[in-house]
Formats: sequence, C-alpha cells, structure tokens
Amino acid sequence: MKSQISALMDGDIALEDAEYLYTTLKSGGESAQAWSDYHLIGDAMRGNPVFKPDFTERLLASLEDEPVLLVPAVKRKQAMLKSSKLWSVAASVSAVVFVGWVVLQQQVQSGLEDDATPMEIAQSLPSDYWLAHQSQASNNSAYYIQPANYAE
Amino acid sequence: MKRFLLACLLATPFVVVHAEPEDPWLVLQKAARAAHDLSYKGVFIYQSGDNIKSVQITHTNSGQGEYARMVVLDGTPREVLSQGGDVVIFSSKNEKVIMEKRRAHNLFPAVLPDDMELLKASYQARIGGTERIAGRDGRVVFLDPRDSLRYAYKFWADREYGLLLKSLMLNDQKQMLEQMAFSQVNMMEDQGMDWFHPNVDHNKHYILEEAHAQPAQEAVSSWTVGALPAGYRKVEQVTRLVPGKSAPVTQVIFTDGLASVSLFIEPLSKGIRPKIGQTSKGATHFYANVSKGYQILVVGEVPAATVAQIGSAVSFK
Repeated sequence: MKSQISALMDGDIALEDAEYLYTTLKSGGESAQAWSDYHLIGDAMRGNPVFKPDFTERLLASLEDEPVLLVPAVKRKQAMLKSSKLWSVAASVSAVVFVGWVVLQQQVQSGLEDDATPMEIAQSLPSDYWLAHQSQASNNSAYYIQPANYAE
Repeated sequence: MKRFLLACLLATPFVVVHAEPEDPWLVLQKAARAAHDLSYKGVFIYQSGDNIKSVQITHTNSGQGEYARMVVLDGTPREVLSQGGDVVIFSSKNEKVIMEKRRAHNLFPAVLPDDMELLKASYQARIGGTERIAGRDGRVVFLDPRDSLRYAYKFWADREYGLLLKSLMLNDQKQMLEQMAFSQVNMMEDQGMDWFHPNVDHNKHYILEEAHAQPAQEAVSSWTVGALPAGYRKVEQVTRLVPGKSAPVTQVIFTDGLASVSLFIEPLSKGIRPKIGQTSKGATHFYANVSKGYQILVVGEVPAATVAQIGSAVSFK
C-alpha cells in the first residue's frame, strides 16, 4: 500500500487508476498516515515548507475541487504534475523557524562583561563555530549522529 | 616465427597470475564503491570520546540510485534519510522535530573518497591481517599519515563484499579518537521501499530549518590564505548570515581527502569579545586569532599544528 501511495505522489500512477487508494485515504487510517509521512520526506527534500498535521484533509479537499477530466491516464498524470496541485497545497502552509545558530548566538552573547578584551577560547568552547564546521564538512559523521549542540 | 609468437602470447598471462599480496589501495577502493553500490542493513556503534551511540542503517541501491535511512538508537531521537546526495536530518527537540536539509555526506560505511589518488600524497597504506568483526571476516588496512598534520586510520573491509566493517581514527599516541563499527550487518535482497520513511510523531510540530549557508560569490575579499599545510586543499567557500552580527561570516573548508578543517573569517563586531588561543575537545582542535580588525577561527578533526598553520596562513591586504 505504501509503495502505491508513493507512486501516486510521484505521478507514476494516475489518480483514477488508484481509486481504491483514494477511498482508503478519505476514510483515514494507516494509508492516510503513510501518505502524510511520505509527504514529509519529499517536502523536506524539495525544500518546501512543512505541512501541518491536518494537511491530508486539505489535500483531499483540493482534489475534490478539481473537475473530473476525461483524458487518458498519461495526460492526466502530466497535467497533475504540471498543475502541481500537490505542491501548491504544500506551499500554502508555512511553519519555518530559525533555529540552531540563532539560539547558540544568543547564549554566547548573554555572558558578556567587557567586550573589548580578547577571550581565550579554552575558557569557553566555540560550539557555534564547531557546529557550523560539522554541518558543512561533508566527511563528518558526528554531525549526523551527535552534533556539537546536542551534547547531553 | 608464428609459432614463437603464439607461444609468447600464451605464456604471458601465466607470468602475471601469481599469488601477489593484496594491494591495500585496491581494498580501500573496493570498500569505497561497496558502500554506495550494495544494499545492506545493520547496526553500527559510533564512538567518540565518552560518547557512544548505536545507529541502525538501511541502505539500498537497486540501480535506481541510493536510498538510506539511519536511526540513532540511543539518547535523543534522531534520524537521517538520504536519497542520492540529498539528506534530511530529523531531530527531536522538546515538542518539536527539526528537519534539516543537507547535501552529499560521507557517513559510515561510506567514509572513503571515490578517488584514492586524493589520499596517496598524504597517507601510506599497508595491508594487515584478517580480523573478525560483526561475525564477518575483515581485511585490515592501515592508513598511516606521511606527516604529523593528520591522524592515522585503521580500516576493516569485508573480505567477501568489500564493505567497511569498521573504521578507527587514531592520534600519534595510538589512542582511539573516533570509531565506527558494525555490530551486525547483512546484505539485503530487494525489500521494496516501505522502510524509506521517518518515524513520524503526530503530536509534534515538524519544522524545516532554514539554510544558513550560501555559496560565497567570488567577490573581492580583503584577505588571502597563503601556504596551506601539505596535502590540504580548499573544497568549498560559503557565506553564513548570522543574526546579531552585522557582517556575514565567511567559512572556507579544506580537506586532505579524509580529514576536514573549517576556517571562519569575520570582521570584529561590537558586543562580541574577540577570541584568541588554542583548545581541543576529543579529536577536534580549535585555533583563534585576531588580525587587522578580523576574527579568525579554525576548527577541524585534525592535530593542533594543522589548525594553527591554516590560521596563521591568513593574511590581509
């Protein structure tokens, strides 16, 4: 079921060829969950903003608004990709927040007394730079497993 | 004459086919390819200092590109999904899950570069014995640095599949700095793609983190980096916009093929104390200095001499 959902999302199968999928999605349950999970990955990879939990309903609502087209499946598939109905639903929801460096930066700045005298880095580890290094240097396994700012 | 030629042609192959010792570079080359080409599933242990984490990895490549999922099994929930060079990291933070997008990575067992030539100038390879790791026979390859500007490595490559079973980074005292080792690994038959999704907690908010770094436009800069430590070359330069700082921070990345170093340069700004000196944490060394109104900071999983040398190589016009 999940792989069919992903095929549907990627436009590999047309919507009318997967009518039962559509019905299951409408009724909720595991398939709807799989659909939203898959979207979460695809969306993050495309760099689109993130869905709120209720986006499956929105998506279904927008699909129902679409008129029924009597065209061959291939054309329908292309139209679906072109009109980017799915992606426009995605774009309409945004919840982007600035984290990471901002948070660290504030922490660094809050402990200041005299800002002209140089400070020995041995006194306080420059973890903001360390994290920036880890995130950018491609051969750094630590970033994926235990980055500098997640020290427990 | 014809007969003589024929005899020569027939004879030549026998001269080449001899039980010669395995070429360590070929073992590493095979390991580099195996990590990308094979489909495997297992659990590996990551260890750096006191920090130990188990990571579950699923990697497939059925000719349509690489897909991988890595789940950190200990501590804060964290997982990584990758498709080709696109990587998304999901990390839990309180009631939120932060999603971060990245490009290309070298996560275990894909720690080796595709081109071994990049390493030959800086490291010497030596073949070792066979040791058992995760229930499999591993061929040992030592990678010793040709100078004191980088650490030493020891690798264990699966004798059957070539895949790295274990990787160890050591300092000049032969002390372990970082280690990644499979505790269990299996080759996978086609399993479909049902596994390729994150574990989604529907009670949490998923937040996509904004990209901080942009490729730096080659503008006229007021500084240059002089002689780099032997074997290191510049691979990337990005500009980071940091809130609370008036000017963007420039980050330049250097690598010798295995180790990497970041150089940060930014104008000194009011309200932030300049940093100087050297320090370290595990395998990571830091160097900071101030010059002509700029803050210079160098960070890398390399010996202290390397970060200091890169920091001192920066000169202002």
